[in-house]
Amino acid sequence: MKLNELTITDASKKLASGEITSVQLTQACLDAIAARNTELNAYLEVFDDALAQAAAADARRKAGENHPLLGTPLAIKDNILIEGRRASAASKMLENYVATYDATVIKKLKEAGAVFLGRTNMDEFAMGGSNENSAFGAVKNPHDSSRVPGGSSGGSAAAVAAHLCLGALGTDTGGSVREPAAFCGVVGMKPTYGGISRSGIMAMAASLNQCGVLAKTAEDAELLFNTIAGLDALDSQTFDAGVYPKRAAQKKIGVPRALLAQGIDADVLERFEASLKKFQSQGYTLVDVDIPSAPLALAAYYIIMPAEASTDLARYDGVRYGLSLKAGDLVGDYAATRGAGFGQEVRRRIMLGTYVLSSGYYDAYYAKALAARAQLRAEYAKALTGVDVIAMPTTTSPAPKLGEKSEPLAMYLLDIFTVTANITGNPALSVPMGTVEREGKQLPVGLQFTAAHGDETGLFAAAKSL
Amino acid sequence: MISKEEVLKLAELARLKVSDAEVGQLQKDISSILDYVGQLAQQPGLTTTQRDSAGSSEEEASRAAKPHNVMRADTPRAAGDMLAGKEEALRAAFPTREGSYNVVRTIIQKDE
Repeated sequence: MKLNELTITDASKKLASGEITSVQLTQACLDAIAARNTELNAYLEVFDDALAQAAAADARRKAGENHPLLGTPLAIKDNILIEGRRASAASKMLENYVATYDATVIKKLKEAGAVFLGRTNMDEFAMGGSNENSAFGAVKNPHDSSRVPGGSSGGSAAAVAAHLCLGALGTDTGGSVREPAAFCGVVGMKPTYGGISRSGIMAMAASLNQCGVLAKTAEDAELLFNTIAGLDALDSQTFDAGVYPKRAAQKKIGVPRALLAQGIDADVLERFEASLKKFQSQGYTLVDVDIPSAPLALAAYYIIMPAEASTDLARYDGVRYGLSLKAGDLVGDYAATRGAGFGQEVRRRIMLGTYVLSSGYYDAYYAKALAARAQLRAEYAKALTGVDVIAMPTTTSPAPKLGEKSEPLAMYLLDIFTVTANITGNPALSVPMGTVEREGKQLPVGLQFTAAHGDETGLFAAAKSL
Repeated sequence: MISKEEVLKLAELARLKVSDAEVGQLQKDISSILDYVGQLAQQPGLTTTQRDSAGSSEEEASRAAKPHNVMRADTPRAAGDMLAGKEEALRAAFPTREGSYNVVRTIIQKDE
């Protein structure tokens, strides 16, 4: 087995015992990147000091440090700030932007001794479900390069799946970690809202957006999560351990049968049922749960998200940093800069957000979406009282072809099962549940678990038993 | 379908320059998305006061922590300590720079 194909947990043991060094491990990832990144376009930039970071980690180990992530090579999504390095959110707007400070998650990973291999491609400003909205070219799915990797953390998911890193960070506003994880056959996890600090992560719909982790196993994902999670004075949405009550495991899995009745590919549903059987054989009981408002989640999401994004992205005006174009007067400068700097999907969402927040439309759209949100939160809380987690397929089908979802609405429908956890703030995770065949290729599909607020322990416990 | 004028008005409000060629496509795209999300308005059960109404006690007990304010510690900090050492990096990002200054456009103009 090549070193880059190791899990974080296995590599960590080998690093601790002195069997391998971080320099060797990092070199193995760099070799894999050299072999495949031209085809996959997963990394926008590979840091030229990766081996130097690895050597520094090896030196720290020699000096007696032993964090499980010490010397682990990771990939970082391009909307997470690392001081002194470019962070573009895959947008022309920030093409040459250099971060002036570390995101809290980066600070914690540096303290742990992780190695940053590079920054990964994504949908521009994390808006998209296929990674085709990057200003710097689409990412390809490592399992079939005619297909998308999912998005918006498509570069991170493809990099983990193709062993171009051992693990990665992404962000998840409506499924942007879980959906690409499902399409690429890796584990992707979004925490409880406020579970991980967002200081230094570019805002996109602040009431929905969270940092998430991608890894080859649930165990690795848990290790990454535990390293970066927790209260942070720089993000007032983060919370103390005592905020949510501790839950005892009931060994019960909720299945929202009504949601599975239509719209899911037959073989995806077969994989799902087979996974449920596996849980039963391990002593789990399956319980039917009802979430009557679930069909409203996507509509609520595509009101709340663009509304918030239209305000979050108002800061990109060309005055203090980023692209700056001149066009006669100040308002002209703004319009020229934002018209040229933002890609088509970003402009569309900003305008949609502007529309739903407009005087006269607010009650019909935004207020209704908030009401649906409250209803969904209550229904999920109720459904989760009797079970540890709720299970469903992460997506209705495997990864689509590049260019297949050209209509915006068709693209949005890829998120139909993932947006709910962002609407309600529950932690959720996608774990591989096997493959389905399309045109002679085996394509991965994912199973999504949703747990109660603050119950990441229950979420990982369920994922680890699959 | 929303009109060409509405699209241009939205673009103006959002401070976005859109090309004439783009306007037609935006009319079509935004209308189809609004049709989809507009289904919420047809939900009779969805009232905007719903989030304030109390659920059953079981629901209440299981509901996630109630919203509360989070304050940072009220301890004095040295002026500029968050920026210490970063001044030059911040200035380097200015689109147009004169020495330590960020050159911006004159906002107040004389009426002719």
